[in-house]
Order: sequence, then C-alpha cells, then structure tokens
Amino acid sequence: MWWQSHSAQRKTFGYTLLAPAALYVLLLVGAPFLFSLWLAVSDANVGDPVAHFVGLENFRAAWEMDTFWIAFRNSVVFLVVAAIFKGLLGTSLAFLLLQNFRGKKLIRGLVVIPFTLPIAISVLSWKWMYDSQFSVINWVLSRAGLIGSYGSESWPVWLGQPHLALAACIAVNVWRTFPFSAIVLLAGFTAIPLEVLDAAKVDGCTFFQRFRHIVTPMIFPILMIGFLFDTVFTLSDLSVVYLLTQGGPANASKILPVLAYQIGIQAGNLGRGAAIALFLVPLLLPALILVLRNIKRREW
Amino acid sequence: MATPRTARQKEVRRHLLVYAGLTPFLVIAVFPIYWMVITAFKQEPDLYRMENIPFWFNMAPTLKNFNILFYQTNYGSWIVNTMTIATWVAIITLLTAVPAGYALARLRLPGAENIGIAIFMTYLVPGIILFLPLSRVVATLGLQDSWWALVLVYPTFTVPFCTWLMMGFFKTVPMEMEEAARVDGCGQLGAFIRVVLPVSVPGVLTAVIFAFTLSMQDFLYGLAFVSPGDQKPVPVGVPTELIRGDVYFWGSLMGAALLVGLPVAILYNFFLDRFIQGITGGVVK
Amino acid sequence: MSVSQPALTPSTVSRRRFLTVAGAGVTTSALLTMLDARQAPAQIKGTTLRILQWSHFIPAYDAWFDNKFVKDWGDKNGVKVRVDHIPHLELPARMAAEFAAGAGHDIIMNGSSILTRLYYKSLADVSDIYDSIGKKRGGWIPTAKPLVEVEGKQYGIPMFYILLPMLYRKDLFDANNLKAPDTWELARVAARTLKPKGHPTGIQFSQCADANLNWRSVLFSFGGAETDPSGENILIDSKETREALRFAKALFDEGMTPEVFSWDDASDNRFLASGVGCWIHDAISAYRTTEDTNPDVFKNTHIGMEPAGPGGKRVSTSAANVYMIWKFSKNQPAAKEFLVHFMEEFKDGMVQSRGYNMPYLLGDAQKPMPIIGSDPKMQILQDFPKIVAFYGYPGPFTTPVQEVVNLFVLPDMFTRVARGQSVDDVMKWGVGEYQRIFSKHKRA
Repeated sequence: MWWQSHSAQRKTFGYTLLAPAALYVLLLVGAPFLFSLWLAVSDANVGDPVAHFVGLENFRAAWEMDTFWIAFRNSVVFLVVAAIFKGLLGTSLAFLLLQNFRGKKLIRGLVVIPFTLPIAISVLSWKWMYDSQFSVINWVLSRAGLIGSYGSESWPVWLGQPHLALAACIAVNVWRTFPFSAIVLLAGFTAIPLEVLDAAKVDGCTFFQRFRHIVTPMIFPILMIGFLFDTVFTLSDLSVVYLLTQGGPANASKILPVLAYQIGIQAGNLGRGAAIALFLVPLLLPALILVLRNIKRREW
Repeated sequence: MATPRTARQKEVRRHLLVYAGLTPFLVIAVFPIYWMVITAFKQEPDLYRMENIPFWFNMAPTLKNFNILFYQTNYGSWIVNTMTIATWVAIITLLTAVPAGYALARLRLPGAENIGIAIFMTYLVPGIILFLPLSRVVATLGLQDSWWALVLVYPTFTVPFCTWLMMGFFKTVPMEMEEAARVDGCGQLGAFIRVVLPVSVPGVLTAVIFAFTLSMQDFLYGLAFVSPGDQKPVPVGVPTELIRGDVYFWGSLMGAALLVGLPVAILYNFFLDRFIQGITGGVVK
Repeated sequence: MSVSQPALTPSTVSRRRFLTVAGAGVTTSALLTMLDARQAPAQIKGTTLRILQWSHFIPAYDAWFDNKFVKDWGDKNGVKVRVDHIPHLELPARMAAEFAAGAGHDIIMNGSSILTRLYYKSLADVSDIYDSIGKKRGGWIPTAKPLVEVEGKQYGIPMFYILLPMLYRKDLFDANNLKAPDTWELARVAARTLKPKGHPTGIQFSQCADANLNWRSVLFSFGGAETDPSGENILIDSKETREALRFAKALFDEGMTPEVFSWDDASDNRFLASGVGCWIHDAISAYRTTEDTNPDVFKNTHIGMEPAGPGGKRVSTSAANVYMIWKFSKNQPAAKEFLVHFMEEFKDGMVQSRGYNMPYLLGDAQKPMPIIGSDPKMQILQDFPKIVAFYGYPGPFTTPVQEVVNLFVLPDMFTRVARGQSVDDVMKWGVGEYQRIFSKHKRA
C-alpha cells in the first residue's frame, strides 16, 4: 500500500513531530506578524479602532527623521561591537571552562550568574554602578589614580557623555550575554565524537590542525545558530538602553527598538512605531535566509 | 628557570595559567554581583554618602531590605510565579522543540527547509509590536491578569531558538547509529527515543535551561498581560513596587535580583557539569 | 443601606426599569439625584471594580489607598474593589494592551503622559461627574479642563498633580550671603558662587520626564510658550526661547558639572541627599528622600517658590495625573461613583501622601491645606496652584504635543546648547522638529 511505504511513513512521522512547534509559532506569532506588517503600512494609533492604509508613508516619515538615522547607526554599531566582544570573551571562557582544575565547580557557577539575573534588575544595578556621583567603577579608578576625582574633567560620566553612553550600554549587553556564548560553544563541543579526535591525534595532527579541520566544521552549525540568534536578540532588545539612558544623552545611545517604542507605544503612533521596528527586517531577511540555508545543507 | 620537567611542575603551570586566564572573567562577572550582595545588606543612608566605601559596610549591615522585600511587597508570590512559569515553559518547549528539531534535522521532509526558516523569522517581529495582538488573544482566552497568560506566550520566543538548537545537535548524531537501530527493528519513533535522544542529552539540557532562563527575563509581556500584584513574575513586580516614581529602593532591589538569580545559577552549574563531563578531553589537549 | 423609594407611580417604575435595563449607562439626572442623597445607586451593589494606577512614591499611601480607603468605600457600597499597580512610565504600554484586548480594568490612571486625545473614542464620557464635582468643590483650576476635554466633552477626571518647586540648602546660602533663589538669576548667582566650593547645582540635561518638566518651567517663566491656546500653532520660535536657552547654557557653565547629562528622574534626589547639591528643582519626593537618608542635610533644606524669569513671570510646569474610565468597562456606574467619592475625600489623599498630591479643585486648594499648610517649610507650596501649567502651555495637551514630549525634543534643545551648539543652530533644529511633528499629525 502506498501509504505504508517507508517514505510516506517517514513523512507522516516527521510532520507529526513538527506540528506542535509549527502550529504554536504560526498561530501565536504568524498572525501577529501579519498584523504588524499591516500596522507598518497604516496610520494606526493606539487608541483608534479604525486605521487606513497609507502605503509607505510611515517609512518615508522615518527616513525624514534624523533621529531615525542616528538610531540606525547606533543599532549597527551596537550589534557589531557587542558581537566581537561576545565572540572573543565567549570563546576564551568556553576553553577555560573545559579545563580541569580545583574549584572549577564554584567558578563555573559564578561566571554564569550575569546571565541568570533578570535583565530588568541587573541593568538597574549597572545604572547605579555608572551613576554620575556614586559610580563604583569611578570610585575604584579614582582611588587607583587612573582618573581624577569627582567633579574634575577626567571623571567619566558614563551615561552622560555621548561616546561613553553607547559604550556603557554595549558593555552591559556583553556582560550579560557572553556566558550564553560560552555555553553555546561548550554545547557545541559536546557534539564532537571522541573517536574522530583520537584518530586525528593518532595520525599526528597538532592541536591547531585538529581545531581547524575537525572541531570548527563540526561546531559550525551550532556556532552559527548561536550567533544568528544573538544577532536578532541584540537588535530587538530594548531593555538595556531603555533602562540605562532612554536613548540619551541627545540620542547618543538611541537604538531602533527604543525609538520604535517611544513613538509607537508611548506617543501612541503605532503605524510609525511598527515601521521603525520592522525597518531592519528587509535588510536582515536575505542575509539570514542565506546563512540558514547554508547550515541546513551541511551534512557529514 | 629551566623548562618544567616533571609532570607535577607541568600541572602547576597549567593551573596557574588557567587561573590567570579566568581571573579577568571572574572579576568582570562577579564584581557587580559582589557589589549587589553588599548593597542588599546596607542601610539606605550608607549608600548616599560619597565618602563611603562601596565595597564594605560603613554603617552596620541590616536585614531591613529583605524585610521590606518579603513583608511589604509580594516578592514571595513573584518568585513562586516566576519559577512556576519558567518550569511550565521549559516543559512546553521541550515537548515541542525537541521533536520539531529532530524532524527538521533528520527526516528529509519536503518543505522542511522553508518551515525551519519561517520559524526562525518569527524573531524578527519585535515584541513591542507583538504584545498588542497577543493582548487580544490572551483576553479572548480569559487569561488576562493571570500568570498563565505568560505560560501561553513565552514559548513564542523559546520554541524557535530551541528548535534550531536541537536541529544543530541532532545533525551531529551519526546517521549510522540511527540506521543501525532501524535495522535492529526499532521503528522511526523507536530509533528516535532509544538511540538519538540519549546521545543528545547535553543538547536537550541546554535547550531546557535556555528556555527556563529566557522565561525569567521578560518584562514587556508580563507588564502588558498581568497587573494584579500577586500574579506578577519577578521582573515586573520588582520595578512596580520597588521603584516608586523617582525613588529607588536599592537595597531591596538588589536583594530581589540575587534571591532569584542565585538558585538558577546553581542549577546551571549542575547542568554544565553534566555536559562538560561528556566533552572529550581531546578537544583541548 | 436603603435607597429612599419614591411612591411607585407608573412613571417611576418605568424609569427604574429603564435604569436597570440600561445597565452600564445611568442617566445624568438620576446620578445627580443620587449624589445629592449621598447614597449609592442600587445597581452597583454586588459588582466588582478594578482600578489600575502607579505605585505612589510613598508606600504608605498605597497601603492606605488599597487596604483602607478603597475597601471602606467598597464595603459601604457593596462593591468589591481591586487595585493593581504598575510602574507609572509603563502605563501607556498597558493602556495600549488593554485597548487592543478590549478588556482590562474599569478605571485606569494616566500619569505625566495624558493620553486623552489618543483614546477618547474608547473612554467613557464623564462630563456629568466632572461638572458636578467641580460645582461641589469650588470649581476646577483653569488648566485642568484641557487635559481631559475633547470636542466639548470630558473624558477623564484630573486627580492630582505633582509640583516641582525649588529645593535649596539654606545653610549654604546663608553662609555665603546669598539671597534665596526667588528668581532664576539669583539661582544662577548662587550656583556660580557655590560651585567652586564643592556645591554645584544640577538640572537634568537628558531624556527623562523631569527634564521635560524643569526646562519648560524655565522656558515659560522666561515668557516663552509652546503652543497657542487653540493648540494649533507652535509658539516655540521666539526670542524668549532663545533667552531661556542662553540662560541654561550660562547656568550650566557656571554652576553645574557634566554629570547632569547622565541624570534621570532620580539623580537629583540623590544629588541633594548626598549633601553636594546647593539647590535642585524637583518634586518633594527628593525632599522626603533626604529626610529619610540624610537628616543633617534635610534640616537645612528649604522649599522655595518657583523662580521668576527676567520679566517677573512664574510658571511651574507640573506632572498631571488623571483617572479615566474605559468604555468597555462593565461597571461604569460604580467607577463614576468611586471617582466622585475619591475627589470629595481628596484631602485624605493629600494627608496620606505627605503633601505630595496637589489638588485640581479650588476647594481643596484653599489655605490652610493639609500637611503643607501646617509645616512651616512647606507652606510656600500653597501658593503654587495659581501658577501651575502643563505640557503645551498655554495651549492644551494635544497629540502632537504628546509626541514632542515623548521624543524629548525640548530637553534635547537645552542639552545641545549646553554641549556648545549655537543657539541659532539649536533653534533651527528644535523648531524644525516641532514643525515636522505637528505637520505629521495634521496630515494624519
């Protein structure tokens, strides 16, 4: 019987396994996604039940705002700089965590804490640590003679000086998520079978050769996934900047999600808020599809 | 000094290198935590003096902040809510993402590639817009102002990521293992459950723990869907009752963060142990 | 508790049946009759009322409100009341969510961001109780109506506003022979004198709510204006605005440190409490924080009148708070009854808030006011109701003004000037932003 064939069986089994996740996501996110696309091309306001189609008007309005371009640039800078640091720190940490040494259990536990604290609260602690008067960081640096005392020119006002503000936000984001990068890497390492590596050792490969030719290709899918998700999370995360600077001073740390929130929800102009929030999508989409297709194609 | 000859000297040198390498990480990760711990036990006036040392007590330590936390706010309820929500979400994620990941990774389903990409694309929709139509869904289901609304909604951001994570893991399971199992007479399902899953335990654990952590982070959905004091999770409850207008109750805020973060960190530690054990030493020697 | 029953003539019966059937709607005259009798309409017995508001900065106020005030009223009228709190800056988000859901609370509060014009189509018309409350309590202050009025009807009840007076260190002023900061010029001189002695001042040059309020006070006191009384025309492009900007730059250079660029709403509280600040322009929450954390500094902290600008004008921009009722509320009668009760007992709220809640009703603004009337340092606050203004002054708080506020356009103008941009460039940018936003809303 055709439906008893191997292939049909496999497909039925497959779709059954896939169904819960696909349905969940499509129903709860797919429909709202279409809704937000509609918002972006309408003149919707928060309190108005009726909205009209306005074409690309919202996008045009966003183009005209110089705050928008500042936010765009800041978002990109944030993403790139944070990714570099997270990659470097995450990788180093992953290697270190793999080592066998005394006290490793305790240290592993400690290093992971930044990731486990709820963002809303850990970012607030940083707010105090960056405080213009009471900053712990400044206190230490000042006592160490590296910066001047309170009130002097060289007392950094972390959240008040334009270049420092964005850097301060990036630092908090990196602090929070580099344990995540390390863990994803570690998880990737577990996927490498012992035999393959042993065989390579027997064959006389050095550590670096093994790393380049065996380890990297094998952890690549997981690495890429971690990297992609982190990209998307970072680009859409508004909590760090919202809680630390609200995008100030004078838009120095404003990023797209914060701007979208301020216009769309706080000022009530949903249409324009949605347009700003979705602005990066057409740019990211092709890149993401390419990378994801690539990952899927890798077979051993 | 001559190059280390004995194995013992080698060991010591390795230890020192590792500790040296770890120190910056520890400082970066732990220093804010240490400060939070001290602040949680500080009296309020102690915080507001510029001459005071931030790292130690200038006035006697106090339990007052924790008192406020437990007796004057709903913190107890918030912790219970957060943990319960996170557990449910982890379970739901497990039950949906693990099978889905396997199906996409192994079963060569037509259209699987596009479904997978579509699932990923859901992350491009920002939560700040999503929460509006989701409010309608939540209200229609009668879940408004109950923490169950969050159990319904949080998987929308845990499932896509965990699906892809599991996909990545399952791809690294050798085909031969599965084929062998099927030759031995297990069906599709049998091969999956009896052969593939056990080998992928680290990946599953990773997915579970990420789902758990991600559920503890959200603020916006919690704010939009849950307003009664005793139904809120920690990230929403804490700013509501410990930040009043322009007055911050710093000691209690720090205490609140630590009491919810530390147990989860311990949990992480436990899981990390599990899968680091499974990692070959060959990777790093 | 019984409602006095008129003799059951056919017309009375049918009117009662009408009222019962109408459910959510209660005819105005019936309500007024009932208000006069100070007895609750029978319909609301056995119902539930849900209120959403911010967390008051005094925890005791919330404890009193949630557990005593609301409960007493609920018990007396047979209504089960529940009060929920969320952070006040997130009220707009929650409001958007409830609107999208078509369900939520009965009474919702707006603080600082008054969104009447955004939501009025979904809010209950409360013109009847607005009028009756005003009549009973000596009338509303003139700036109250524009907050809640759209096309002649009122869609909310202003509950209280928050003042931002001058808080200054009298000991430092006296020790340096400085006059109290009664004008902005005097404030500037004080800062100039005290900064070298380690006591600068500070006003937020950043994107926060206090910056929106403080700089408007400076602007309006200097004679500037945001929109004209119709709300249609922008008046920001004026020589008074330029003067205010120049003053802000001078004040910053002479009397502040660069830390003010990072300040948020709570930073000036800390600044004062640390003993460093010589004066700040902030709500009395800062005064109370200092009382709790630094008694020595508190002893010497005095409250001053809103400083006058060069022309002698004083305008104090305050943060408004308004209660609104959703149209989808299934219990509008109870909601209205409660709001009437709250406004009538407003003095209780003033006491519980330790003088923080300022009244919109002239009856409550008469001297001596509770708490602030009897405290010698706080008495000056009683003179503020005459000079209070809100965003958009002298025009109403319209939707484009809302966006201007949410995008921190005005604080940004002052920040740019302080950072060294020329007043001309800043004016060009700022006025441009205002025009862009206003024209966008006209297009819509």
